[in-house]
Amino acid sequence: MQHWLTGTWSVLAKDIQLEFRTRYALNLLLMFVVSSVFVVALGIGRDVVTPGVKAGLLWIVVFFSAAIGLGRSFVSEEESGTSLILRMNVRGSMVYVGKFLFNYLLLLAVDVVTTLGFVLLLNLDVAQAGLLALVLALGSLGLAGATTLLSAIIARASNRGPLLPVLAFPVLFPLLMTVVPAAVAALEGGGSWASAAGDLRVIIAFAGTVITGAILLFDYIWED
Amino acid sequence: MSSPTNVGRYRIVRNVILAWLTAVVLAAFLMDIPRINILEHTARNLYFHVPMWFTMMSAVLVSAVHSVTYLRSGRPLCDIRALQAARVGFAFGVLGLITGIAWAKFTWYVGTDVWWNFDPRQTMAALQLVIYGAYFVLRSAFDDPERRARVAAAYNLFAALTVPFLLYVVPRQLTSLHPGADGNPAFSDITAPAMRLVFYPAVIGFIGLFWILYTQRVRLAAVRLRLAGDAED
Repeated sequence: MQHWLTGTWSVLAKDIQLEFRTRYALNLLLMFVVSSVFVVALGIGRDVVTPGVKAGLLWIVVFFSAAIGLGRSFVSEEESGTSLILRMNVRGSMVYVGKFLFNYLLLLAVDVVTTLGFVLLLNLDVAQAGLLALVLALGSLGLAGATTLLSAIIARASNRGPLLPVLAFPVLFPLLMTVVPAAVAALEGGGSWASAAGDLRVIIAFAGTVITGAILLFDYIWED
Repeated sequence: MSSPTNVGRYRIVRNVILAWLTAVVLAAFLMDIPRINILEHTARNLYFHVPMWFTMMSAVLVSAVHSVTYLRSGRPLCDIRALQAARVGFAFGVLGLITGIAWAKFTWYVGTDVWWNFDPRQTMAALQLVIYGAYFVLRSAFDDPERRARVAAAYNLFAALTVPFLLYVVPRQLTSLHPGADGNPAFSDITAPAMRLVFYPAVIGFIGLFWILYTQRVRLAAVRLRLAGDAED
């Protein structure tokens, strides 16, 4: 266990260190979020939009950021030829969990910037900030868990292209259909903690299932 | 795979299924059915629409089981089976969706101009088809057959993990008009005994049709694998 935690931590620390050197992934994600928030705000114009639509748009921006921005996590290892070194030094589950935690941190930054953008540009009325933060944090858990495994899949493909959104969205539909009503409950006139309780349980169960399944299946994708 | 000694038996089973299915189709169109308001003769769609779903679900199961055995054994034949079950199941799913959309348009949504109203079962079936669409696209992104087989099996199983959530999530947000859901009368309560006489044989017949198409495609792919070293066409 101690060994496993050290291995996982070293993968995560390596990614964080590399990220601080170039800040490529973070800048890319944040610019993607900022420009898509502008696209949404300008596309809607001055129309009055219901909280349900706003919550839906917020999550669509987060989902697309994850599906487009997190695809690089394994591709960059293949491109720089370092995946072999990773395979030699740490076990598959450590690589997966390390990368997953790194992607989760990136996704939390995406959540914060997207929410701020929606509050500023689209007048998102947040009634229960704590509930919204919890929904975003838990929803991103399942989102990062699924996209991390799928980005490992596309890193092995010969024709990569924009494959990750195609693979990720069919898997993420149940999550999208739960996080949107849960986020609506946190908005003005939406609902309360009690009304979001059922959705929160589904979100936690989804994250647990996806991460467990990903750890079990990761070795088949990762090892040669 | 069936060896040459089994070919005779395979042909007998195949011919029995084809004769059976012909009888089912004839009975489906010719036998008398009770007339119900609005439903009228569209009720005959029961013999086609519902067996399509039974068949697709069986195909999904066959595909998932063979993905598991592939990851365990690494035998190329298991991957061929998983892929071909998914392909034939996809075709049955599309047929089920088309028969369902047309049926709903002229009964449930009669006079409303609606084709699609996100009925839970319709939504789940559509999502299953989208998953398989992604599975096929994923396969075409690989050149190395062995790596393709392993990654595709992993994706097939990973996607299958999320389907049970739909069972819980989807029906809570949208109400269903299908029998047996949300306090609607169960299938057995609203179906006349005479119709069950054709319906159950139709289910068996279409699953048999799936078996014929599936085994023939598996044999074709196995031959391709032996000749070209790659089962993909």
